[in-house]
Amino acid sequence: MKTTLAIPKSPKVQFVGVTRRFREFSLIFRDPVLFMSLLFSGIFIFVFVLLPILRTISGGFFSEEGTLDLAYFARYFDSFYGPGLRQAFLDTMVMGLLTAIFGTFVGFIFAYASVRCNPPAKSLLHWLALLPTVSPPFALALSVILLFGRSGLITKKVLGINFVAGQNDIYGLDGLVLVQTITFFSVAYLILRAMLERLNPSMEEAAASLRASRWHIFRTVTFPLLIPGVAGSFLLLFVESLADLGNPLFIAGNRTVLSSQIFLAVIGEYDYQKASALSLILIIPTLILFMIQRYYVNRRSYISVTGKPSGAQVTEKDPVIRWAFNIAAYLICAFVILLYATIVYGSFSFSWGVDFTPTLRHWSMVVTRGVEAILDTTFLSALATPFAAFLGMVIAWLVVRKNFSGKEILDFSSNLGGAVPGTILGIGFILVFNKPPLALAVIVYGLLAIFYVLVVGRDTRERLILLLVGTTVGLLLARLEATRVHYLLGGLYLLLGMILFLSSKNMFMSISSALLGLYVMSTNWANAIAQPIANFSRSIERGFWSNAIFQFSDHIKVLIQPPPSLLAILLIFAGILLVQGLKHPLARLAGGILALAIPCAMSFMEIPFALVGGAYIIMAAFVIRSLPASVRAGVASLQQIDPSIEEASNILGGDAQYTFRKVTLPLILPALIAGLIFSFTRHMTSLSAIIFLVSAKWRIVTASILSEWEQGGVSIAAAYSTLIILLVLIAIVILNIVTNRLLRGREGVDLSQF
Amino acid sequence: MYLTLENITKVFPSRGNVGEVVAVREVNLEIQEGELVTLLGPSGCGKTTTLRMIAGFEFPTSGRIVLDGQEINILPPHKRDMSMVFQSYALFPHLTVFENVAYGLNVQKLNKKTIAERVGRVLDLVHLKGYGDRAPGQLSGGQQQRVALARALVMEPKVLLMDEPLSNLDAKLREEMRTEIRRIQKTLNITSIYVTHDQIEAMTLSDRIVVMNEGLIEQIGSPVEIYRFPNSRFVANFIGRANFIEGVVLAQKDSRLTVRSLGESITLSNIKREFHEGEPVTLIVRPEMIQIKKTGGLYAGVVRQAVYLGDLIEYAVDVNGVSIIGTETDPHVTELFLEGENVTIGFAEDIIQVLPAGKKTE
Repeated sequence: MKTTLAIPKSPKVQFVGVTRRFREFSLIFRDPVLFMSLLFSGIFIFVFVLLPILRTISGGFFSEEGTLDLAYFARYFDSFYGPGLRQAFLDTMVMGLLTAIFGTFVGFIFAYASVRCNPPAKSLLHWLALLPTVSPPFALALSVILLFGRSGLITKKVLGINFVAGQNDIYGLDGLVLVQTITFFSVAYLILRAMLERLNPSMEEAAASLRASRWHIFRTVTFPLLIPGVAGSFLLLFVESLADLGNPLFIAGNRTVLSSQIFLAVIGEYDYQKASALSLILIIPTLILFMIQRYYVNRRSYISVTGKPSGAQVTEKDPVIRWAFNIAAYLICAFVILLYATIVYGSFSFSWGVDFTPTLRHWSMVVTRGVEAILDTTFLSALATPFAAFLGMVIAWLVVRKNFSGKEILDFSSNLGGAVPGTILGIGFILVFNKPPLALAVIVYGLLAIFYVLVVGRDTRERLILLLVGTTVGLLLARLEATRVHYLLGGLYLLLGMILFLSSKNMFMSISSALLGLYVMSTNWANAIAQPIANFSRSIERGFWSNAIFQFSDHIKVLIQPPPSLLAILLIFAGILLVQGLKHPLARLAGGILALAIPCAMSFMEIPFALVGGAYIIMAAFVIRSLPASVRAGVASLQQIDPSIEEASNILGGDAQYTFRKVTLPLILPALIAGLIFSFTRHMTSLSAIIFLVSAKWRIVTASILSEWEQGGVSIAAAYSTLIILLVLIAIVILNIVTNRLLRGREGVDLSQF
Repeated sequence: MYLTLENITKVFPSRGNVGEVVAVREVNLEIQEGELVTLLGPSGCGKTTTLRMIAGFEFPTSGRIVLDGQEINILPPHKRDMSMVFQSYALFPHLTVFENVAYGLNVQKLNKKTIAERVGRVLDLVHLKGYGDRAPGQLSGGQQQRVALARALVMEPKVLLMDEPLSNLDAKLREEMRTEIRRIQKTLNITSIYVTHDQIEAMTLSDRIVVMNEGLIEQIGSPVEIYRFPNSRFVANFIGRANFIEGVVLAQKDSRLTVRSLGESITLSNIKREFHEGEPVTLIVRPEMIQIKKTGGLYAGVVRQAVYLGDLIEYAVDVNGVSIIGTETDPHVTELFLEGENVTIGFAEDIIQVLPAGKKTE
């Protein structure tokens, strides 16, 4: 037995950062599940968040011919364009500032009333405050115009005002700020409510015992503790306001803000350089605010928002203060109800402003002509939802539980997609995925292939053979004609299935491989399956059902004809799972080459990543927009789970994958469901990010509302908006019922993370 | 040796990734089969990091961990054949007691009958028969602790790791569980490593104690060795209490050492270290090694403080300007000295430990 005493710092211990990074890398590598999730989230975020944003930002500096061109920035300083551009910038900032101030103020009233003033029908207050988060982005602008516009119910019918040119009407900055305040105050409400709930009352009691007056306590204890929340919600509202596209388009009147300028540059002028230049002007303040919120305000918080509410709550005892808050909150509630009732009523009235008789004609229009947009939107939103929520949980798990270099970047950029104005992402998507550079496919495939051979191969020689032969075979296959290559690739998976069966006797893996083969082949049968359905739809009377069935035939094609370059990413991971267990070296080599060659062929088939015009680019935009919320829900949930629970599973023999499935996932299920609900809502209501991505084939309701509005179909727009809100509410109710069944009385879904 | 740590060092990046923190420094430790070894030290001394490296939750930056002849440095935890009892118990809140205990057996895909049998046996062992269907949230802290222990024991691991398993229990329950853990460990003869910052826990449970401080091992030994022969001021101060009295060596003859200290010369016996004449030394004198009498002691002093604690009386006595803490445990002593009273004190000369004065201080 030796006892080592007081050893001075030996030079061996002085490690350099680089060596540590390398060691860390090789340790991560021993955990393929970790590496796989890291690589997958990394690639997804790089391709769909960072790359588009970078393309947009840099786009403003280059003319169509690719030469350096600063014309659009110079315009801010000349005498012809300058004043207008500078005015728009100023208006944008004023809008953001005012919305942030008023929204935070209203949110505070709601939060204080709900937490401290014990208002009657508290949950009604809560749900009404959340209603704006489930409605399409311009619903409230629409409603405010219906009520207070030039032919508004209140302004014209009740008050009898006849607007003349030059008179101050609802259009303009004032109306815009009003609408944005109501649209976004929920964000402030949720942040401040969480903070107030977690504020330990004993601090205020301590102040009271030191003989401080109530006002003094509020001024010196309560409010200072809430400052991070107030500042955080102010900054978030500012960012949301700058990013908003729907409301400015509807209600800004003759004022323009940056987001609508960008929209017009693309839709009206097809000038992507101008749009990019404006995007850069818009993204700078957005990013600054976002960074301050993230790195300054959040770090300065005294109250951990992730902790559980502290149980005992103080209630406001002074009846005057209590009722002042309650009444203020209820007045705002009444206004919110009025706005939503107006939308519903608007969808039924014959001709708004002229004839208010109820009619179903707008609705019948919506369910016939609009059915395509409604079904497309719902289908794509629903299809993207589980992916977004699951990816959110995986990223949250990586961020909370794992240590690796670049973690901060992953965390930041997964949030970035939701924070930058959607128009900027939309432009970036067009710029990147319209004529994607081959380099993108090469980089993505290269990373995945290297990872693949590192995991599958046992030594350097084997890895090199796998990489070279697999890639060569794949590239040769990619040159074949499309129909034939799909049959061939499918056939190769069947062959792989046989190898797996003969070599490892693993039925599950061989059947999986065979099914993959059938799936790959089924691309060729898509038309054969879809065509009869489409023909059937044409044979029946034109109306709701014929349209719906026709759309269904399109949706089938989406499922079995994903873009090969995206499918390839999944197939590489599938390949790892399939051939990883092969023991026999020859079988491993043969299987390994097959499982790499197929995705390789897929990666370079046709034009890789040419996604514009298809369904998948819209879904990608959906996911990027909803990802931050599910990540946040996952992070909050994971931070409440003691890491040693996962370690316990680990040391009892469960590997990372088993532990995630049996322990982590059941425990974060409420967060996962919250993520599902939020993602679906966000998908159904998103406008700015997908407005440039809709095509004749893929229509999105929010875009339809905009075009109806532009053609004067106010009531149809109202009907669409009502329908979206209804669909979202139905989805929330269904998910809630499912949750309650699943969790059987365990802690419910907490939607207050958003 | 069953489990060996060779020159284990663990370096963490410090906050903000700018520098590095050495959490464990060149630790060497050998553990025999069936032994219960305690890692004892203040928080931040590296004991938990050491345990986590043995478990596989952290990998050592350098050095070797060998279990049963096989190097396990970077083997992931689920392949190590160890089990662990966590400070927070880490019970799976969504599973019943039975399912919690059966978790690891389910991973091994054992058949239902075997699982039921083994879980039943181990629940019996921890006196939780009939609690199988409860949810962990419905159990008291002590019962949860037993479930955590059962879940670890059912695996029949090569090494059982315990990370401050009793620190969340109240004092009475802690005492009970301490004996319980020792009983079960002895019954199953299971090699165990136990991390704690509680010296009494370490003393009552362990075959051997490893005292750690600032990432280093200060001393390894049986509870008696650690208490009676601390080899540093840190160990003497961390386990039990001690007066550190400066002195100078006058003469040494075999195990008898004559020291001049507090103005008197005193001869100590049973000294194992070698000293040279004139060397400055520190005497480690535990409070119970001090006898306080009205007259007849070696040193004269004045009582500065007297505290009556029921089972003992604690005095702070001023001797030549040095404050010395002594305790009197004899319940028959009716004579209580008052503050300000003149007394004499003597040392139990045969059990005092002497260290060179330059020895690392706490």
